[in-house]
Amino acid sequence: MLRDINLSIRKGEFLGIIGPTGAGKTTLCLALIGIVPQFHGGRFFGRVTVAGLDTLENPISLLAQHVALVFQDPETQLIANSVEDEVAFALENVRVPRDEILRRIPWALEAVRLGGMEKKHPSELSGGEKQRLAIAAGLALQPEVLVLDEPTSQLDPLGSQQVFATVRELNVRLGITVILVSHASEEMAEFVDRVALLSSGALVDVDIPSRIFTHMDLLDQYGTRPPQVTSFYIELRDRGFEPPSIPVTLEDATQVYEDMRPQVEVKPPAPQPRGTEESSGPILLSARDVEYVYPDGTKALRGVSLDVREGEYLVIVGQNGAGKTTLAKHFLHLLEATEGQVLVNGRDVCNLDVSDLARRIGFVSQNPDNQIFNATVEAEVAFALRNLGISGTELAERVEESLYTFGLEDYRAGHPLSLPKGDRARVVIAAVLAMRPDVLIFDEPTTGQDYCGAKRILDVTRQLHQAGKTVIVITHHLYLMPGYADRVVVMGKGIILLDAPIRKAFHETALLRSTYLAPPQIVQFAQRIALRENLSPPSLGQDYALSILTSEELAACITSRKDNA
Amino acid sequence: MTWRTIGSVRESPLTQLDFRPKLMVMFAATFLAFMWESPALTGALALLIFVLCLIARIRLSYLGNVLLIMLPFYGILLVTHGFLNTHVGRTPVWVAPEAWWLIGGKLRLTAEGLAYGFMVIFRTLTLILVTPLVIFTTDLNALIVGLVRIRVPYKIAFAFSATLRFVPLLLEEINSIIEAQRLRGLALEKMNLLKRLWVYSRIAVPLILGAMTRSQQVEVVLAAKAFSGSPDRTYLHESSLRAADYVVLVICLGVLSVALLLRVTMGLGRFSVPRL
Repeated sequence: MLRDINLSIRKGEFLGIIGPTGAGKTTLCLALIGIVPQFHGGRFFGRVTVAGLDTLENPISLLAQHVALVFQDPETQLIANSVEDEVAFALENVRVPRDEILRRIPWALEAVRLGGMEKKHPSELSGGEKQRLAIAAGLALQPEVLVLDEPTSQLDPLGSQQVFATVRELNVRLGITVILVSHASEEMAEFVDRVALLSSGALVDVDIPSRIFTHMDLLDQYGTRPPQVTSFYIELRDRGFEPPSIPVTLEDATQVYEDMRPQVEVKPPAPQPRGTEESSGPILLSARDVEYVYPDGTKALRGVSLDVREGEYLVIVGQNGAGKTTLAKHFLHLLEATEGQVLVNGRDVCNLDVSDLARRIGFVSQNPDNQIFNATVEAEVAFALRNLGISGTELAERVEESLYTFGLEDYRAGHPLSLPKGDRARVVIAAVLAMRPDVLIFDEPTTGQDYCGAKRILDVTRQLHQAGKTVIVITHHLYLMPGYADRVVVMGKGIILLDAPIRKAFHETALLRSTYLAPPQIVQFAQRIALRENLSPPSLGQDYALSILTSEELAACITSRKDNA
Repeated sequence: MTWRTIGSVRESPLTQLDFRPKLMVMFAATFLAFMWESPALTGALALLIFVLCLIARIRLSYLGNVLLIMLPFYGILLVTHGFLNTHVGRTPVWVAPEAWWLIGGKLRLTAEGLAYGFMVIFRTLTLILVTPLVIFTTDLNALIVGLVRIRVPYKIAFAFSATLRFVPLLLEEINSIIEAQRLRGLALEKMNLLKRLWVYSRIAVPLILGAMTRSQQVEVVLAAKAFSGSPDRTYLHESSLRAADYVVLVICLGVLSVALLLRVTMGLGRFSVPRL
């Protein structure tokens, strides 16, 4: 899992760790608190010293007083009976006085936007809220070393930025050494002091962000990506421009643009006529004034109305706890509307069984482990087909087809839970797709995936869409969606805030911010350029002067003044 | 905040009490239930505990379910004691007709047997109802602190609370597996009871695997949170006895002492058939 790692981290340093899935990032984190090898066993050579303590010679419980570890999956690390108890648990174990515990609980919860939820049971929180709670429990310890293993993978973009900012503040103000694993290149570039790139258990490189994230060959080779503004300037350079430097943060990118202004001109893209992105197929799914109240009294949906037409590719975005998953579950009758009506193919779901609906609507939920219950990958894929009454040669053929589509042939006899998380997600998608449903709902399919893994899954959704399926993706990862989704539904606190084509939705910065979302970095950068150049929206067809969605699109808008002259 | 397994407890006078007097109530009720053999007294005790459950606002649906599950066992208890308890059975209230093969004239339903059966039912009811009365009205943390205060080693107190926590996790796990199966076209709602039981039996393997994985993860998480099982720790929740707690403790001790005294001196609580 780890090979010849030689790494020194200074006291008070903020180190980011990047790398593809299976690179050994989590193993390295576990080694820093002694769980590897003390708990997991295995062969261990070399020495790890953290805060002056050898991780082999000191028990984990002692190391934990110096090193706080926030795990990747919040589901597995919440053990207390209430939010405040979760934060207090480790503090109690390291003998923090009660008064101090009482002071730290609100501080840590405010830092992750969970203030006021002290008495809630962790199981009543949404996935993102659980992760924020896990982070709060780590923050509250104010340890010498804070290790966070992909702590923001399930968070909404502003939540993710806030966590980075909070951790940075702790790092600067309290001198806590921070080691953070993440795929979020933009935040990494902005907040960390150094970036370590891991691959196949080896330390490939460790350097400052401006060197790591501009080393494109290295990033490409190891399946990671640079910040979007970096991609933009590299694209410009490839087009023959000569930016004075390749920036890795939004602020630096803005400054570099200022430096380049005398030489470049911005030509907004040609307006696209309205309506081309809208589907005109029959309505497949419909929610009408749907309200839903959870048994604990939480109002999750407040009069939501939404129509999804056949053949659409729709993305639902919104803050953690906005009601996205709750809404999706209504279409499968997993939840029944407290008020309002939900229709599938014009029929009220109240009159339909979950199993009947599941044959038409494939649902791939957030956590693949909750959907695995067979002993082999092959049996997992065949399960749904048997329920459909398929057997014999057809069953074998369809299982084969699904396994092949997802590159799972070699794992057919293996236990699904023995595969890495990315592969487990593919097993579940393969099992759902085997039913050949008309509609597919993917709930946070890219969570916990590296860039390549996320792209692979989204490519599958595009193939399905191109094959005529209706696709709904629920996600926080806005930057991944251009090129896939046509329509964006923005939700916040149980209501639909916006339902618009992606080019419009991604530029509604203020509205997105109201639900803790942020446009992709390149969209923010384009808006800065448009403001600087006083570009006004064209009179017809576009809502924004530079309604671009990708670095390549923005680079295509930049022309040379010299050439133009 | 309460224990969520049953999700049936709301704020009530009992949630305000410390765990220790409630534990005393549990001990007193259990002691009396075993000391008394009188159907009238055990019946009164069961009724008292039932009323306390209502005061504790434990949902009637939960109590109803408990009684429903126990009903077949209570039927068996009445039949076996009524017909077969020769130790106390004296007065027949029904005798099998002579014409009945093998058992004619021999099989007798006795008043004493029935009364004894009712006594056992009341005794078990007391034990069954007093558990949720104490456990479901106590926050798990207060429960741990309460146990530590009565000198139960912290490791054992934590293990006890972890076991209680594990129950809802297992239920969640079962629900999520069943939900995932329904999302793969399993028409559970159209199945008869036998088929459903077959489906439930087949989730045992993934359930056990899931539970083992989860318990191992919990172990890692506990270690990472500096948990060592040592009692040398601080507590967010305080456990202090207030006036109401002392009143409950004194009442329990008083009732126990008087009941014991009356049992020894006057034989109160001995088995007897209530006269109508």
